[in-house]
Amino acid sequence: MIRNFIISGSGGQGVLSIGTILANIFMLSNKYVSFCPCYGAEMRGGAVNCEINASDTEILSLQNKEVDIVVALNQTSFDKFISKVKKNGTIIVNSSLAKINKTRDDIKYIFAPMTQEATKLGNIKTTNSIALGIISKITDNFSMEKVKKAYEKILKDKTELIQKNLEAYLIGYNYLQERQ
Amino acid sequence: MSEKELLKGNIAIAKAALNCGCTCYFGYPITPQTEIGEYLSQKMQEKNLAYVCAESEIAAINMALGAASTGAKVMTSSSSCAVSLMQEAISYACSDELPIVVVNVMRAGPGQGYIFPSQGDYNQATIGGGNGDYHTIVLSPSNVQECIDLTYKAFHLAQKYRNPVILLADGLLGQMAEPAELTENPYPQIDNSSWRLDGANSRPSRNIHSLEPNQTKLNQHIINLYKKYELIEQNECDYEEYLCQDAQVIFVAFGSLSRHVKSVCNHYRKNGIKAGLFRPKSLYPFPYKKLNELSRKTPIFIDVEMNMGQMLKDIRLAILSNAKISFIGKPTGNWLREEEIINAADNIIKEYYASI
Amino acid sequence: MQVYSAPKAIKENSDFTFCPGCDHGIAIKIIAHLIDELNLKENTVAIASSGCSVFLYNFLDIDCLESPHGRACAVATGVKRAHKAQGNNKFVFTYQGDGDFASIGLAESMHSALRGENITAICINNTNYGMTGGQLGPTTAMGQVTTTSQNGRNKEYHGFPIRTAEQIALCEGTSFSARVALYDIKNIINAKNIIKKAFEYQNQGLGFSFVEILSSCPTNWKLSPKDSHEKIKNELTQIFPLGIFKDIKND
Repeated sequence: MIRNFIISGSGGQGVLSIGTILANIFMLSNKYVSFCPCYGAEMRGGAVNCEINASDTEILSLQNKEVDIVVALNQTSFDKFISKVKKNGTIIVNSSLAKINKTRDDIKYIFAPMTQEATKLGNIKTTNSIALGIISKITDNFSMEKVKKAYEKILKDKTELIQKNLEAYLIGYNYLQERQ
Repeated sequence: MSEKELLKGNIAIAKAALNCGCTCYFGYPITPQTEIGEYLSQKMQEKNLAYVCAESEIAAINMALGAASTGAKVMTSSSSCAVSLMQEAISYACSDELPIVVVNVMRAGPGQGYIFPSQGDYNQATIGGGNGDYHTIVLSPSNVQECIDLTYKAFHLAQKYRNPVILLADGLLGQMAEPAELTENPYPQIDNSSWRLDGANSRPSRNIHSLEPNQTKLNQHIINLYKKYELIEQNECDYEEYLCQDAQVIFVAFGSLSRHVKSVCNHYRKNGIKAGLFRPKSLYPFPYKKLNELSRKTPIFIDVEMNMGQMLKDIRLAILSNAKISFIGKPTGNWLREEEIINAADNIIKEYYASI
Repeated sequence: MQVYSAPKAIKENSDFTFCPGCDHGIAIKIIAHLIDELNLKENTVAIASSGCSVFLYNFLDIDCLESPHGRACAVATGVKRAHKAQGNNKFVFTYQGDGDFASIGLAESMHSALRGENITAICINNTNYGMTGGQLGPTTAMGQVTTTSQNGRNKEYHGFPIRTAEQIALCEGTSFSARVALYDIKNIINAKNIIKKAFEYQNQGLGFSFVEILSSCPTNWKLSPKDSHEKIKNELTQIFPLGIFKDIKND
């Protein structure tokens, strides 16, 4: 099993935190994993992205030309990273902040109004967790216990915030099912 | 045993430094290594250790020089263009025989370049940018676990040989996170009571200086340094061999880029070409002997670097005319991907077999 | 009855190698006497710098570390802090020339003062780069002839000299900043008292203490030792007034 992801969006959308949580979930599942964030001045303009690779064997490729799954939390990152999706790969788009538009027919598109859903839930900052729920649903069905543990590693003792994010995660996880 | 933790390379270096008894850190911010100083600023203050937000890298390395004279375990960290500023004091520290760990998380150069990762400081680190006859030990980690392991080793070798050690990481490794374990420091404490400066109490006074107006003495001092370097060259060569023993082609690469090259080897093996990777972990001392040995059996060597071929001269010195030596590289930016390396290597291998 | 003995902190059989009439010897002797008086020998690390001042360790029988040119205050910071981290309070002072302290090392010097680094810096101001043969330095007076200002220093070409003790006095972390001279017995005694105060302030943990010493350079000034001291008395003290510019206990 080798999986790789790009998560992208703008500053404040929790791109790096959700990338770190995803990497932690893989670590807790005894997978090899690497997490490579963009850094420095690249982030000052507001665009943030990170690449996560997970595998059963040692991670050798740190920077891939294309990845299995791209998460785009806004229009700019949708435009920028659509070309990075592998053939038969998936792009998960936050349709609250990006227009529904399919320019490729060799990949799968998932559009979800994540910002809207997060706002409904009462915390716009949980947008990223909705994306994580969708990732879980279409990949490995992470165990809830590991997901919770990964959040606890990052958010430490902020129990209320962890609870909110887990709720958001489940909204993402169930989103596709409910629409089917 | 502590369990694995998802750690950034920079944080791993900082944690390992603290864990093996580093009591002094001096630094100045520069991307992509700033997290080292940020992390240590808090932790060291909590423990009443020596941490100074220095006014420049020049000040930082000179504070490190002073602190090292007390026998303390001392570290500074920086990146490329700012490590250039430290070269004078590194030359002094070599002559003074003071143990300092200098971390260079490489970015692109020359000059200010940019914050993209790069391996462009191979020459600066292994040859040295300072004046005079000297060497610094240079260690090159390829993953976050090695950021921990080689930080321990850097402190150990610095104390053991009373010499600056450069931990040569890169921006990608500094910024990326991987599961790693903060193991116990495996190295013993080294006694420094015979040379440290702590006041001439019940012993004759001591001087540490590089100035020596007596030319016989100065010559002897440098000859003695070179006897020490000879020992280092004998004892401290460190490398990883991956599928080299039966290889038709051996790639040579260091640092985190070597992982892409390892993946390239796997690709060739799957396709019936016996490829191997030779990865120096110590860039000084460079493992000439081992590489020379390999070159008697393998006809093609391909150096892969994120610079314009700075390690080539060392590979040539090791291999001489025993084998064909080629180079694949680019100066900076995204690491060369497997398919880029394979495309270039295919041609090199084809050309070689066409020529024999 | 013994009326005078050489300070114990001076190495036995060490002859000063400075030029005849140079004040470095007097300055080092004062420091050696104070190391004896304050009982500092066994607890001190001194930082020598580049230029004539580097030879400090040839004469003082204490632990000495040489610093790269200009970086003495940074090196001293490292020594002081590293010992503190190990639970030891060592006495740490630098001995620098004006080129070292106030030109190439101005950043390190001033930032040590700003941090209130608990060290003492002694700066020998002889208004030129002495060891290299008398070139224009940061303290060269207006009109002064040097090998790189052969028509005299002028503001169009060379700009203005720095009054170091006054500048250091402006730094919040400075506990004590003063300028002294060594051109006669009265001033030598005064210099000793002032440097003693600077040393004591470090012992009391009050922050950065600094003494600038107006010093003769007969060789490069091309004057006799006597005329050199006359020059300090009559000319240099006009440009670089003697006195205490900051005393944290009085301010």
